[in-house]
Order: sequence, then structure tokens, then C-alpha cells
Amino acid sequence: MSARLRVDWPACRGRGLCAEVLPELVSLDEWGYPVVHGDVPEDLVGLAREAARTCPTLALRLVGSR
Amino acid sequence: MSAPVLVRPAGDGGGPVVAVQPGAHVLRGVSAGPSLADHRRRTPPPPALPLADLVARVRDVDVRGRGGAGFPFAAKLEATAGAGRRREVVVNLSEGEPVSFKDAALALTRPHLVLDGAVLAARALGSRVVHVVLPGDRAGVAAAVRRAVDERGHEDDRVRWRLHRAEGRFVAGQAHAVVELMSGRPNLPVTGWQPVALHGYRGRPTLLSNAETFAHVALLAGEHRAAYAGAGTGEEPGTRLLTLDGDGERPTVTEVAHGTPWEDLLTDEALDGPVLVGGYHGTWAAPGALRGVTVSRTAMAAAGLSLGAGVVLPLSPGDCPVHRTAGIVAYLAGQSARRCGPCRHGLPALADAVRATDRGIDLSARAGALAGVVTGRGACAHPDGTARTVTSMLAAFGDEVAAHASGGCGYRPPRLVARSGGSGR
Repeated sequence: MSARLRVDWPACRGRGLCAEVLPELVSLDEWGYPVVHGDVPEDLVGLAREAARTCPTLALRLVGSR
Repeated sequence: MSAPVLVRPAGDGGGPVVAVQPGAHVLRGVSAGPSLADHRRRTPPPPALPLADLVARVRDVDVRGRGGAGFPFAAKLEATAGAGRRREVVVNLSEGEPVSFKDAALALTRPHLVLDGAVLAARALGSRVVHVVLPGDRAGVAAAVRRAVDERGHEDDRVRWRLHRAEGRFVAGQAHAVVELMSGRPNLPVTGWQPVALHGYRGRPTLLSNAETFAHVALLAGEHRAAYAGAGTGEEPGTRLLTLDGDGERPTVTEVAHGTPWEDLLTDEALDGPVLVGGYHGTWAAPGALRGVTVSRTAMAAAGLSLGAGVVLPLSPGDCPVHRTAGIVAYLAGQSARRCGPCRHGLPALADAVRATDRGIDLSARAGALAGVVTGRGACAHPDGTARTVTSMLAAFGDEVAAHASGGCGYRPPRLVARSGGSGR
């Protein structure tokens, strides 16, 4: 099962750190909320973990990774 | 056809009178009265079926969830059973969609059929408690269910009943919002990292299904099972409830066998006009698109449509699908729980784009883009459903959008569109 970034939407405040840490996979919509583009490839799992850890509202989760 | 039973879901406080057409299975004998005594004259108490037997019976006729998503009920039963030993059963009667009245109709005419189905599931799962979630804004329904549950005190159901009252908002019936309500928190959607079947009320496996679903399950317990299985088509046995004209003065709830042609249900006038199928989170059928199609999951999917929770809204004569969609999206934007950013910001923006398009400023491209942007980005499917209605309007009525952009409308008389103030007539 490939890894995926999931957003806890009610928790997300659109601070945008995830898009800075992981611009390869996360962009921001016109209100500053993350748009996640596809699954997390193997070589980005480390950065995805970093993005989840640094989210100020802990609204990002990496799911399905070992 | 026998005379419909008239019920008032809102109680004495107003709201539409709903006509419930007697049916062959779920709506059989609706005129006989809603009491337990009336019910037991026709239907014996539910037997204690072992889980494997109940799953087999449900699978045999492929009962699917009637809350809108259409998930196979047998798989939900098995998932709940496999996820732990203290299992919860929840009957979701909240029916947050204002133009759907099928669950209200059941509560007011055959509440004990719904409760029988819940008892059947609870006993198969070894659950001691059945939770019933009542609508917040339909006092008549809530009172009818309270009365029915009080009557169950005289039965040997071997379950305790626990009632909860949902808030009267569109998203209140969403599964995770219901678990929040039951847990004493605000009745709003939260992120569900797992389905409630696996991790629901108090973290326990929770069988949460729509009231109509339990009514169909109840029919599989007794003698009526063969007749029910013989209804519908080989591929989709059984029946389903539809709410017709839920936005009109006299909504009608009717039981329809799968495979019934739409020509048997709607007038020529309705068939040859736009029909919003599936409710406010639904899909628009272009004029004539329902001709040759049947009430069936597969036939509807082949036509690019979905029955959702069974709401069928033919457009009123003189109304316009673009205008109607603008009103619906504005309403849905107001129903957002306002917790998730893309919904809180995106739905008002979407409503603005559709309203502008209706008024002749063609923002249909922006509406389409916004529909894409909000989809899949919320704790619940409210943004997805709202986007679906908009997307289907744009797909079915592209010509009409173009007509609006050049100052016209093919549906509403020009004077109604063009006039702003003036003569006062």
C-alpha cells in the first residue's frame, strides 16, 4: 500500500507550512489551504513525514506507510 | 391504487403534508396505523437470526444503504462484526436533507418495521443497546419514534433503546457527525480516519445505517422474505423508497421496485423537463434523459445519474435549472458546518459564481473549477455533493448557461428575467 498524505480538514488553519516543506506534492488553493497531489512516492516519504510533524495544528497525517 | 396516507413530519408546527403511497413491501399496510399492536397483527417479532444467516439473507437480495452512499449492507455487517466484540447499532433517522421525506414517512407509518430491523441486526451482532437518532427539525417524526420506542417496552427485544436528537442541519446525519452527537459533542462532521463500522461510538465497531435500510432488512426475517426477493430485477432485487416533489406543496413518498421505468412514475411534463435526481447533492437529468431509464443503480449509473437517498425533484414549470441550482448552492453554502477551510470559503465562492452565471455574467468556468477544487477536501462529503450538483448542471445545461450570458433564458418568460423593479405588478 502506498503512502498518502491526509488532511484533518477541521483542524487545518491554512498556515501553509506543508506547501513549503513539500512543494513537490502540496500546493495551496486561493484561500491558502493545501491541495495534495497524489500519493507519496518512496523518495518523498521522509519529507512528507517532516511536513506532518511541522504542521502547527497537527492537521496532516501520513497514512499507509510502514 | 389505494389512497395515500397523509402525514405531517414537522408535527403541528407547520411544514408540508406528505403523501405516503401504500406499497407492496416496506410501505405495505401503511394505512393500518403505526402502533405496535397494528404492526404485530401482520408481522411477528423478529427472530434471533445468527449473524451468518442474516448476512446471507442480506447478501442474497443485495440490500444497500439507503442514506445515499449505497454501500452493501452485508459488507457493513461483516466489517462491524469483525472489528471487535462490543458492537453498537445506530438507526439514523436524522434525514438532514430538507427535500427528503422517506425516513419521516417510515417513522410516521411503519416505525416498528424500522425498529424490527434494528433488533434483528443487534441480536445478530450481540449488541445490547440500539441507538436511534431523531431529526432535529421534524417534531412529528421525533414524537412518533418516541411513542414507538415506548411501546417496545412490552416486547422482548433484549435490547435497550437510546434516543438522540440531531441538529436540524444538512450535514447532521453524516456518520461521523452522528457519532459526535452520541458522544456528547457538537453534531458536526469530524475527520474519520476509519469508517465507523470499525471505529465508531466510544471507539467501538458501530453499525450505523439509515432508517430505510433497517426496514428492508426487517422484511428478510419472516414469511414476507420470498415476496420481497421476487420484487425488482434479478440483478437488483427488492424495492426502494423515493421522495417525489420534495420541494413542492405535496411531497409524495412511494415504494418502487427496482427496474421500474421512470415513465411509470413521472408525468410526461416532468420527464420532458429537467429533473434533479438524488436531492440537493444530486445530479441533473436533462429533459428527456430519464426516458428509457429505470429505477436501478446500474441503469442510472449508465445514464450518468445516481439515486442518492431517493429524492426526485422535477423542475416546476416556469423555473430554470440554472436559477434553481443557484438557489440550491446558496442554501448548501449556508449549511456548511464552517469547520473545513475549502468548504467554508469554497462553497460561498461557488454560490457566487453560479448566481452570477444565472444573472448573465458567465462565471461557469470559475464555477466548474471551484467545484473541482472543493471536491474531496472536507471532513464530510458536503463539498463533494454540492460540487456534483453544479457540475451536472453545467454538463446538462450548457446551452442554457450560454443563453443566460446573452441575456435570455429558455425556461422563464423573459419579463420575469429582465424586469428589475418598475411597474410593481
